[in-house]
Amino acid sequence: MDFFTQLFTDPVGFYQSHELLVAQCGINSILAISIFLTLYSGQLTLANAGFMAVGAYTTVIMSLDLHTPLVLNMLAGSLLAGAVGLLIGLPVLRLRGVFLAIATLGFGEALRFGVILNLPITGQGQGLKNPSADPLNGITPILIALPILTYVVWRLTGTRLGQAWAAIREDELAASSNGIDVPRYKMIAFVAGAVVAGFAGALETHINFFVDPTSYSAARSISILTFAVVGSSVMVLGPIVGATVLTALPEIVQQAANYRDVVNGVILILIIIFRPKGILGGGGLAILRPGWWPQGRRLRHARAAAPD
Amino acid sequence: MAQQLLNAIFIGSIYALFAVGYTLVFGVLGILNLAHSAVFMLGAVLTYALLVLHHQPFLVAVLISVVVCGLLGLVIEFVTLRPLRRRNAPQIAALISTIGLAQILVAIVEQSNAGSLTSWLWVDGANSVRFPPQSVPNPTYHVAGLTLEASKLAIVVVTVMLVLLLGYVMRSTQVGRGLRAVAENPRAALLMGINVNRMFALTLFISSALAGLAGILFAIALTDIDPYIGRDQVELKGLAVIVLGGMGSIPGAVIGGYLLGLIEVLAFVSLGSNVEAGVAFLALFVMLVLRPQGLFGARLRERL
Amino acid sequence: MPGPLLRIDGLTRHFGGVQAVNDVSFAIDEGTIFGLIGPNGAGKTTLVNLITGYLGAQRGSILMGDVELAGRRPHQVAALGVGRTFQSIRLYRELTALENVLIGMHSRRRNDTLQQMALLPVFRRGQQERVREARELMRRVGLDDQLLGRRRAGTLSYGDQRRLEVARALALRPRLLILDEPAAGMNPAEKERIRELIEQVNAQGLTVLLIDHDMRLVMGVCRQVVVLDFGEKIADGSPTEVSSNPAVVTAYLGARAQTEGVHAPGSIEVTETLERKSSGDAASQPQPGATSMQAARAAGREILQVTDLDVRYGAVRAVRDVSFMVAEGEIVALIGANGAGKSTILKCLSGLIRPRAGSASFDGLDLATAGPDRIVAHGLVQVPEGREALARLSVRENLELATWSRRGSRGGIRREIAEMMERFPILGRRRDLPAGQLSGGEQQIMVIARGLLAKPRLLLLDEPSLGLAPQMVDTVFEVIEGIHREGVTVLLVEQNALRALEVADRAYVVERGTVLLSGAGADLLSNPEVRKAYLGISH
Repeated sequence: MDFFTQLFTDPVGFYQSHELLVAQCGINSILAISIFLTLYSGQLTLANAGFMAVGAYTTVIMSLDLHTPLVLNMLAGSLLAGAVGLLIGLPVLRLRGVFLAIATLGFGEALRFGVILNLPITGQGQGLKNPSADPLNGITPILIALPILTYVVWRLTGTRLGQAWAAIREDELAASSNGIDVPRYKMIAFVAGAVVAGFAGALETHINFFVDPTSYSAARSISILTFAVVGSSVMVLGPIVGATVLTALPEIVQQAANYRDVVNGVILILIIIFRPKGILGGGGLAILRPGWWPQGRRLRHARAAAPD
Repeated sequence: MAQQLLNAIFIGSIYALFAVGYTLVFGVLGILNLAHSAVFMLGAVLTYALLVLHHQPFLVAVLISVVVCGLLGLVIEFVTLRPLRRRNAPQIAALISTIGLAQILVAIVEQSNAGSLTSWLWVDGANSVRFPPQSVPNPTYHVAGLTLEASKLAIVVVTVMLVLLLGYVMRSTQVGRGLRAVAENPRAALLMGINVNRMFALTLFISSALAGLAGILFAIALTDIDPYIGRDQVELKGLAVIVLGGMGSIPGAVIGGYLLGLIEVLAFVSLGSNVEAGVAFLALFVMLVLRPQGLFGARLRERL
Repeated sequence: MPGPLLRIDGLTRHFGGVQAVNDVSFAIDEGTIFGLIGPNGAGKTTLVNLITGYLGAQRGSILMGDVELAGRRPHQVAALGVGRTFQSIRLYRELTALENVLIGMHSRRRNDTLQQMALLPVFRRGQQERVREARELMRRVGLDDQLLGRRRAGTLSYGDQRRLEVARALALRPRLLILDEPAAGMNPAEKERIRELIEQVNAQGLTVLLIDHDMRLVMGVCRQVVVLDFGEKIADGSPTEVSSNPAVVTAYLGARAQTEGVHAPGSIEVTETLERKSSGDAASQPQPGATSMQAARAAGREILQVTDLDVRYGAVRAVRDVSFMVAEGEIVALIGANGAGKSTILKCLSGLIRPRAGSASFDGLDLATAGPDRIVAHGLVQVPEGREALARLSVRENLELATWSRRGSRGGIRREIAEMMERFPILGRRRDLPAGQLSGGEQQIMVIARGLLAKPRLLLLDEPSLGLAPQMVDTVFEVIEGIHREGVTVLLVEQNALRALEVADRAYVVERGTVLLSGAGADLLSNPEVRKAYLGISH
């Protein structure tokens, strides 16, 4: 409970003592936004960790080998991630549902094992040390980028583009009868998600000293997915809430530090069972009740007896 | 080279055994059960615990472990899948809840050591252990210049027998027909008087028992045991296998398993160990782009 | 005289060996209301999908003005000014009604991504105007924009959803509006409103292509009609010309109708068959309740009682206070339009959904709480629509599975299956084929055989004639009468009210979720209201 007491009585002190946690929440929120873009258009893609890797490695390699300015490096990293997204999207976006998910997951792992681990320039399995890493100031760009991104994506949902995405998510066939070019808009969502993921990857290299291939595994993509789904995948605040809750909650339960992952898993199951459409998603809080539970039946009869 | 091909058959058998359960759940419930790899790991861990910590005879240990893994399948069904089905939750929700359960299972093993509550299960934390050689009978034969270990041969024999048995059950028994009916159209199956929930539970039991057995065989013959053998070594490769064979297809999973074993060994021999790990995902990616229904998938079904 | 807006020439599309649309040609004049009719499976929806780019044609051309539509993708066809609705409503269910209409404006809305990023709302104009237009469109199709605009589309009533789909298609500002069965499942009053809507949009200069089953609607509103049967055009012309065409009568009512002197679908005359039947039973006036109960008591003890059944899907009350009963040995029919709640009632009885209130009991078993497997084991078996055959299992496997909840020797059951295959030779000949390769009618017979193998005491039949060719419908109804003669009690749900009433001892008319009328089958057949509303026959 100290966690909350401090958060409200001494926000500055809280921020200083939990800076790394805040930074991690920020990064994870941006990543969740990146997968939100594809989920919002009805596509389940899991290539985000791969795009992060592209953004992260590009940034670090440029500052190591070319000594170009940081802003340029990060920009190049994000754009390259988008370009890779375009290339991958061309063959893959014809797939749907779980097939799309697996194909994109496969891309991420093929990138990690096939490319990163084999190129001398990426340091192979060793990873790279980031010369411009600065954990203390690295948090500032995150805190600036997050609200801007949130605003942009929030506004986006009201545009012609965003409404086309919502239409595709709800019903692809109907969308094309309304003049929406479905493959094109799917691609835009996928590439935009790739750019944001690449950007998050680039940001993250500045709070970590290393880029290391193991942090871009399939497991990372899956945990990014859980952020968005647990928050809500139809509302911009959903992924941010999801990422923050899932990143911060285990920290709160300090006593169980050893069992952090157990707590994490329990939280995940509880949230998804009680709120299958996400914390912010529609539908009231479900009260779980087995079919044989007598009260349900009694309630049903009570309701039947009551006049409308 | 012949020895390498033999290895391809050994590792392919494990992949096949693991993937058959994976694909069975996808075929019948339309859900990717991402806790499958955690059950695989627990199979190995339980057998190790019974053998080494509780000094049970080998076969007893294996039998108990397989049954416990099957029961764990029921836990997956009752805790993570059935509540969501009752609420008509989107299928992606089931994906997330099985991830949560997998996380819990791995973390429990990972955090177990001599002093903890679960020290009856595991005492080595995140470290890896090996079956003590005297506890697992494993004579070695040399035939025509090839080294054959009994444990590895057992893998192949057990896999082939179980897959044939499962194939027989699915093809020619009333329960198998019921499972296929549920897989195809749960509503129609309900109207024929089939208790669909019970069939789902049965599917999870069979699938998880197979995963546990695959984990045991894997640990005996090929690798050390640690809390991550499921997550790191078979989870995604299992996905690759069922995609190669066609999602939901049992023969597809078997062929896909051996195919992946072969591809990996060939990649290792010709390109080296760094490429070996990526090759599964490349194969998966290429297969999905060229032929999404896989080798044996009859048609692409939208389930998620 | 304006020239044709759309000219279709030699359009052909087959699926495998099936000719879905074969060498069809016609032209739609600018400003007209054009009707496209034909029995189930005639290829009407395929034709719509070809025009709108959802399917590619193998041959032929579709010219709009001088622009070729064939080969274009659906969104391109839409952008060229072809709006459409879907046979099964395809709204964006989780979005609000207004958002649905706004999305309909997609192809004439500028890309406003950057503009919408502006911090101050002043710079984001345009949206208000679009919302105003969307509200206007909702009012134009008869929807209250104030009341319904912010409701999620999926929560609107069935009729309102159909209207909203029209509003969404109008948002495109189309030159051609294609309505695919807009009145399906509506009652006469609602159909009348749809008819007014069609005439109203047409009066504003829009060309309409109307596909519907309801002959009265099509004949009443269209100026030109094309009739399809088995993918081919069999008639073309004004409504009166078409309805006296003998080929059309045969296509609609089967060869039998022709020999018995039925004239035309939707024609003014009353069929002689009906006249004869009703005059024979003239003594019994259609008094809901009284006569039917007498008939029931004569038949046997009550085996199924349904009292004040109430079912809701979310906010929608699909079934309201429905009560009826079935006595042993009867055939009872539930008739009514598509979406009236008939299938929902059946689902309730077989335990697939739970009622919100009311009770249903079958021979002592409480159907409101028992699981589907227990209900089947108790002897109440539902035969689902033919499409619910287990397509990938063989015919034999389908039949073997039907005995799931039966005890008894395997040998005896195997013998029964063999007998069933002798009884329906069609099944015997195809026993090792996957059921999916059977024709629609064969699948329907297989599903009925499946139901019989479960040894039912009450058989529920859900739309057994749906989507079948007329000859096959005859066969299926012969099978039903055969089953009945063997003493099986049958509850039949049918859209084809005429056929259902001919075989039923008693029937209940279901409309908008509630029982409107009940009586002996023959009485209802002669009831003027029933004839007008459900048989499509007016006098």
